[in-house]
Amino acid sequence: MSTLTARNSALLKGRRRTGWKAARRWVMPLGGLGVILFFLWPYLVMLFDALRPSGEVLATPPTFFPKTWTTDAFAQVVTDPAFHNWLRSSLVVAVAATIIVIVVAIPAAYFTARFSFRGRMVFLGLVVVTQMFAPTSLVVGLYREFYDLGLINTYAALILTDAAFNIAFALWILRGFFSAIPKDIEEAAALDGCSRVGTLFRVMLPLTLPGIVTAITFTFIAAWNEYVVALTLIQDDALKPLTVGISSYVTAYEQNWSQLFAASLIAIVPVVILFALIEKHLVGGLTAGAVK
Amino acid sequence: MLWLGPALILIVGVVLYPAITLVATSFSSYSITGLRKGDAGITNYTTFLTSPDLPKVVGNTAIWVAAVVVITIILSLALAQFLSKEFFGRRFVRWAVIVPWAAALVISSQLFRLILDYYHGILNQVLLDVHIIAQPIDWLGDPHFTLPSMIAVGIFVTIPFTAYLFVAGLNGIPGDVYEAARIDGGSPWQIYRAITLPLLRPTLLIAVVLNMIYVFNSFPVIWILNGSNPGFGNDTLITYMYKLAFRSAQHDVGLSAAAGVFNVLLILIAVAVYLRFVNWREGSKNA
Amino acid sequence: MKKSLRWGAIVAAATVTTLALAACGSSGGSSTDGKSIKVVIAEYSKDHTKKFWDEFAKTYEKQTGVELKLQVISWNDIDQQTSTMVQNNNAPDILNLNAYASYAADGLLYDSSEVLPAATKADIIPAFVKSGTYKGKFYGFPDLSSARALFYNTDLFSKAGIAAAPTTWDEFVADAKKVEALGDGNVGYALPLGPEEAQAEFAIWLFNNGGEFKDDGKWTLNSAANVKTLEFLRDLNVKDKVTQNNPGSTNRTDGAFSLFEQGKAGMVVGFSPLQQALADDHPDVKYAIAPMPSGDGAEPQTYGVTDYLMAFKKDGNKDAVKAFYKLYYQADQINKWIKSEGFLPVTTSGLKEFADDPDLKVYLDTLPNIHLTPTDDPEWDKVKLTIQQNIGLAVGENGDPKKFLDDLQAQAEANK
Repeated sequence: MSTLTARNSALLKGRRRTGWKAARRWVMPLGGLGVILFFLWPYLVMLFDALRPSGEVLATPPTFFPKTWTTDAFAQVVTDPAFHNWLRSSLVVAVAATIIVIVVAIPAAYFTARFSFRGRMVFLGLVVVTQMFAPTSLVVGLYREFYDLGLINTYAALILTDAAFNIAFALWILRGFFSAIPKDIEEAAALDGCSRVGTLFRVMLPLTLPGIVTAITFTFIAAWNEYVVALTLIQDDALKPLTVGISSYVTAYEQNWSQLFAASLIAIVPVVILFALIEKHLVGGLTAGAVK
Repeated sequence: MLWLGPALILIVGVVLYPAITLVATSFSSYSITGLRKGDAGITNYTTFLTSPDLPKVVGNTAIWVAAVVVITIILSLALAQFLSKEFFGRRFVRWAVIVPWAAALVISSQLFRLILDYYHGILNQVLLDVHIIAQPIDWLGDPHFTLPSMIAVGIFVTIPFTAYLFVAGLNGIPGDVYEAARIDGGSPWQIYRAITLPLLRPTLLIAVVLNMIYVFNSFPVIWILNGSNPGFGNDTLITYMYKLAFRSAQHDVGLSAAAGVFNVLLILIAVAVYLRFVNWREGSKNA
Repeated sequence: MKKSLRWGAIVAAATVTTLALAACGSSGGSSTDGKSIKVVIAEYSKDHTKKFWDEFAKTYEKQTGVELKLQVISWNDIDQQTSTMVQNNNAPDILNLNAYASYAADGLLYDSSEVLPAATKADIIPAFVKSGTYKGKFYGFPDLSSARALFYNTDLFSKAGIAAAPTTWDEFVADAKKVEALGDGNVGYALPLGPEEAQAEFAIWLFNNGGEFKDDGKWTLNSAANVKTLEFLRDLNVKDKVTQNNPGSTNRTDGAFSLFEQGKAGMVVGFSPLQQALADDHPDVKYAIAPMPSGDGAEPQTYGVTDYLMAFKKDGNKDAVKAFYKLYYQADQINKWIKSEGFLPVTTSGLKEFADDPDLKVYLDTLPNIHLTPTDDPEWDKVKLTIQQNIGLAVGENGDPKKFLDDLQAQAEANK
């Protein structure tokens, strides 16, 4: 009796699954389209504002599509040597900071996940507490510190600061991933003759790839979009990153709205490219099946 | 110590000194120009704690943090589920979701400032055209709408980061767990509540704690959206702290530093209370 | 055990190092070697400010052999950045800012007898010398100036049947009502009392009602005339309803000016950058400029502003600073910059040079008799901040102009 019911219910479920599976094929992408629109519509507004003359951006009443289409803003921004400098600065700082964070956070996260040591809680607490200081509160001290170190107005100062402020996140998320890996995997590797460092690289890291991808994305974006510290530590126009440079398009006396938005849109592109390259690794880890 | 050393040196080296500077500044007396005039004892703290605007600002901050964090978490959990499923075009959806996070907060805030503007904003125009409203709404200037507008924008820009946290977390859950649950005959909702959520707990914890901190410290959204409004009625503690230093009658960096220290302590206590509340014990979840 | 000891040692070492670094170098930069000067300029525009100052730096370096380190900072951020520098005893040698008296009061600046050529001081328009003088010494050297006037949309005026610009406040209100009556989203008068530059808007109305911020050395913020002025502004919003929505939350650039630029505002108080914006981006808006209407029947008063280029006292930089001013106030330097940014001159000789520009005539004639805010009093720096931050509340539905001004007066007097 029970097996019959079981088989019946399995059949019923199967049929329901077929019904949903068929609909799924178009319902999900439709839902996906909705999600895309939801997150992109303000940036569509920004795109159209970049494609209209600056005077039309504040039109009353406003129109969604430009009344006059023009790519002048994009042309001006792309050919502006100052913009090239800003772009290069942002790339240098963001890439360097991201590399430092990953390289430094992985061993620390692994160690904290695997070994209980006196002061572990203090260490983790310290890491979180550093996140609690608003950058605006700290700029004065940062300025002084880097001035004394002779690093004011250098990429190094900005890179170190961005790295220091973002280690906490990378550490926390990677620690979570390391903790989730069962100890037997490590033990198996050790039995196979792997050193601790070797285990880390060959066995643990692939399993924590989603965490690493998240950490890379987070740090890169945080460094790419950082404003107030860059404003304070960098004085030369040639070293200013995008965030600081872009703010000069709209001043109290001269407003180039379309150029502001054109530059901002261009600034989003490298981040999306980076993410597009690594997002497939958000899947992985324990589900990859390499475990068994 | 090779493992922890670099991280420690970087964090302590870069953050500790400015933190000490902040505390030292809060106990000093400054001229409007930034010139240090001498010691202030605790006057900055007493002035700050007795300022008549403080209760409203604290209230705003509490509402701001609570609303943004809670709503973001709920929506991000749903979005993460969606983004974890296989379907055609998922890649493009993932790319789209990253955009609000990839755009600088200052720029997104500036954009929403224009979109929500009374005269120049596309939102009012659309709502008027579709006859949902008869008169334009002053989204940013009308006190009834200012905080809700800022919260909506705050949620919008925070969802991507949180959703991806959950996507990473969801992918850490082995697939066979779901298989077993399905064979046992649970509805999707039951599976979610009984299996997924508990396994997401560590990620959920990180998401809540980090979002509490980041939303509390969030400056550009409030600053720009509230930028045309007089007074302190819509400020959160972070923008209020900045205004104390540079936009208020006091223009006093010592006073602002006291506010800064207060803010750090406040968020520290809030996080500690939250962690105690969810009964977090080290290593209790893991092998 | 051993691990945690080692760990503790590392933390201790890191802490000690940072504290040590903090201790050394704290004598900071209050002296220089005279081989370079740091010049901080506010960013008036993306295209012109840096361009001029880069060239200036090259000329200066060639002339003097002293390196000129230039930093251009946006107006939004310059206050915070300056404060950071001063807090760290690392003020620049030359600073471009919109206030100076507090720095003079703190004893941080050179006065004209130390660094400004006498001929230059004689050439600067007397009103500006007076406004830049604190306690008898001239500290606030003007870099450029601007003056305000009433802009009105001639198309809207003719549609509304208004023959000429208003000359009294009653006429002004009547005209604004006529423009409002045109409907179609048209606003009679665009009134910006948001935190950006509310004190400027308040000042120009205040001066035209016989009021003053300070009179004879005493604060007169809550004088009867001033209270009437603020009540008038509140009435524009609440009673007459001739302004745009929520003036207390409207700034100039993305609020009042933008409405006028879109041809949706009958009148607005503007200045030469607005003229440039209209010419560049909105050539279809037909407008004219007139003196301000008068509230008390007296002559129209013009309100003007200068920003300052002040010099910080540091051992060893006096000669370099002197050379800076000597070069900057040369007619071919200062007027070149002012022209490119679209502002007004600060020297009598400059007045002559700009006289052949028809667009600026309406301002140039009023420049020598211009009304300025009391920037020579450090207390004004705080009063200005309060006005900027809070006056918007006083002109709202629940606003109380008299109370606002009484509180302001009390604040100004308390800190004397």
